[in-house]
Amino acid sequence: MTINHDGTADEAERSLRLSRVRAAMAAAGLDALLAFAPAWRRENVRYFTDAPVAGTASFVLLTATDADGVGAFSTRRADLDSIAGRGWVTDAHSLSARRVSALAERLRAARPARLGVAHYELLPELLMRQLVQALPRTEIVSATGLMDDVRLVKSDWEIGRIRRAASVVDAGWAAFVDVLEPGLPEYGIVAAVEAAIKGLGAEDNFMLIASGGDEVRGMTAPTPRVLRAGDMVRTELTPQLDGYWLQICRSAVVGKASDAQHRSFDLFNEAVEAGIAAVHPGVTAHEVARAQNDVFRARGLGEYCTSQYTRVRGHGHGLHIDETPIIEGNETELPENAVFIIHPNTYTPIAGYHVLGDPVRVTENGAEILISTERKLFEGAVR
Amino acid sequence: MKRGLVLLDSAEIPAEEWYGRVAAVQRELQADGTDVGLIYGDVSRSDDIAYLTNLCVYWNEGILAVPAYGHPVFLTKLSLRVHSWMQLISTVTEIRSGRSFAELVAKFLGPGDGGTVGLIEAELWPGPVAAEIRQALAGWDVRELSGLVRARRQVPSPAEVALLRHAAGLLVETATVAAAPGLTDRERIAAAERGLRGAGFLDVLADTARTADGVTSVRITGQYRYLWLQASRLADTATAAWPDLLRQAIAVAVTAAVPGATAADLHEAARSALDRLPAGAISDVRWVHQADMATNGEYADYPSGLPIPAGSVVVVGIDVRFADGTHAAVAETVLAAADGPVCLTGQPGATGAARPIR
Repeated sequence: MTINHDGTADEAERSLRLSRVRAAMAAAGLDALLAFAPAWRRENVRYFTDAPVAGTASFVLLTATDADGVGAFSTRRADLDSIAGRGWVTDAHSLSARRVSALAERLRAARPARLGVAHYELLPELLMRQLVQALPRTEIVSATGLMDDVRLVKSDWEIGRIRRAASVVDAGWAAFVDVLEPGLPEYGIVAAVEAAIKGLGAEDNFMLIASGGDEVRGMTAPTPRVLRAGDMVRTELTPQLDGYWLQICRSAVVGKASDAQHRSFDLFNEAVEAGIAAVHPGVTAHEVARAQNDVFRARGLGEYCTSQYTRVRGHGHGLHIDETPIIEGNETELPENAVFIIHPNTYTPIAGYHVLGDPVRVTENGAEILISTERKLFEGAVR
Repeated sequence: MKRGLVLLDSAEIPAEEWYGRVAAVQRELQADGTDVGLIYGDVSRSDDIAYLTNLCVYWNEGILAVPAYGHPVFLTKLSLRVHSWMQLISTVTEIRSGRSFAELVAKFLGPGDGGTVGLIEAELWPGPVAAEIRQALAGWDVRELSGLVRARRQVPSPAEVALLRHAAGLLVETATVAAAPGLTDRERIAAAERGLRGAGFLDVLADTARTADGVTSVRITGQYRYLWLQASRLADTATAAWPDLLRQAIAVAVTAAVPGATAADLHEAARSALDRLPAGAISDVRWVHQADMATNGEYADYPSGLPIPAGSVVVVGIDVRFADGTHAAVAETVLAAADGPVCLTGQPGATGAARPIR
């Protein structure tokens, strides 16, 4: 992990986070907050610890006042060293999923009247039963939305991390284009990209892919399909660096692009630009999505923005890959320093599924594009 | 994150075996009086679903509904556009998408007179999802069932053992590259990704740990199709004497991994080597079913006296914590065959290695 060694800035960031969360807890009437991290949703535990954890179940417990400190718990022993080594939470304990004694003890000592659990919706019955047993008189509610709201606006410290992730994103796309050649299976592309970004310190990556012609309707995990000259290869590539995920969406042609592929690019680029132009502090996710969809509707292609194809026009980024969705009907306001990707990815009959998008930050003057990769239809050499 | 190759290949596992797995679960449901068994999975833990159908929950969550009679149906929040791919890579013929599992399950069961629904491995279901389903199924008896699919996965079939052997060979090659002297931690992890994803692994989890005397542990956990393997090697060992002791310890622990052996037996076998590690070193010797490696065994119940089942494939690992707080780890994937353990990830000819791949 690449760590920011500026201790003063780190301490300020840690304090900022605790004060933000405690303010939200006060507004929600919570005496304590328990952030639960199943293996696929660790963003809230990361928010408190700034440490990578690998446990199947991990937790952070925060009470409304400083007096009780912050405690971390994980089913993986090695996580305790990771957490303690980072130093944001010094009180770390291992636990067994079947006997969460250390956590139960802390909960009993805190005696909250109202406990909020972030990712309550994902808490296994096995763990839920033990929480209820430890706190028989406590009202337990979900705090998932509370934490989503807290994490929506990124601090300058976080923006710094995200900018570093952006350089890995750019390098990942460069590796993607570089490896394309006829005969390579889709999973071979993924292997090359993974090696490139892991070599740059990426902790993880989320990636979907599709190759072929205008029959392609969507992206999936890689298949054994081998590339052919003229294929358009689409990807969304989302490395995670120092906790922060950032995505790029691009399409590249193996060899020279056809007129239809160029026309498709022009359409999707216009939609991305419309989404970018809509961004201002306080814009809603709905408005950013509508701006993109209107480009399709204006050309009689509105049906390709429906649930029969793809409705999502982007999503928030941060310590989770897929934060608030950019979709019509989502009235979430995106304030200054919200970070999300604008991607009108969908199928059209022009050249099949097309993938194009840039991650942006909301600034007082509009959108700041966070990556350096040119927005164009890439063409790879046929070697 | 699952982003490697997902493949359904009848040359690897024949159609009859896939159908036989579902039929075996259905027989249990029938015997229990359960009309439909529901299996929950998410992107991090969906091997029960994969075992029955080869479906890969590559993102989000899903529920496999297995009726006591008839074909399984996959219920998911994923969008319609991935249905054709999911059908291509699995034995499932029907997939239904929706925004709420409760609605999907209620619609699947239909408006009939009710019956019995079983939540398989109910204790690992997200509580609110289970509650939502119970509430939506008024008139139905919703029961908690044990991990009956997990139990079936613990002893692999001959076809699965063949896949594990093949994957182990790939893992051995890659681990050798990743544990070569003089690489940086990032280079080691990059080598693991390149080697295993390039060879068709679905998932790769590689990490490193370094001791104060410069020895690096390179641990690689990989998922090939839906089966798991792990190997952990020591690199840059020239500056220390203890790595040979730890290699001896894992070799004898692997040799002790016979059917019926417990974690205590493995520890006892490795004790003479572990006792000679530097003062203050604390060793943890454990075994975990490959079938539980999605969670590293952390959700399963592994009492200290639990014996290794005959025919199972397990990860045998030794973690050492030195007095200065640094770590080292060695691990192998082992077939606990009736006639003795076979170290699937063993390096032929390595000092103290158990029997190589047969």
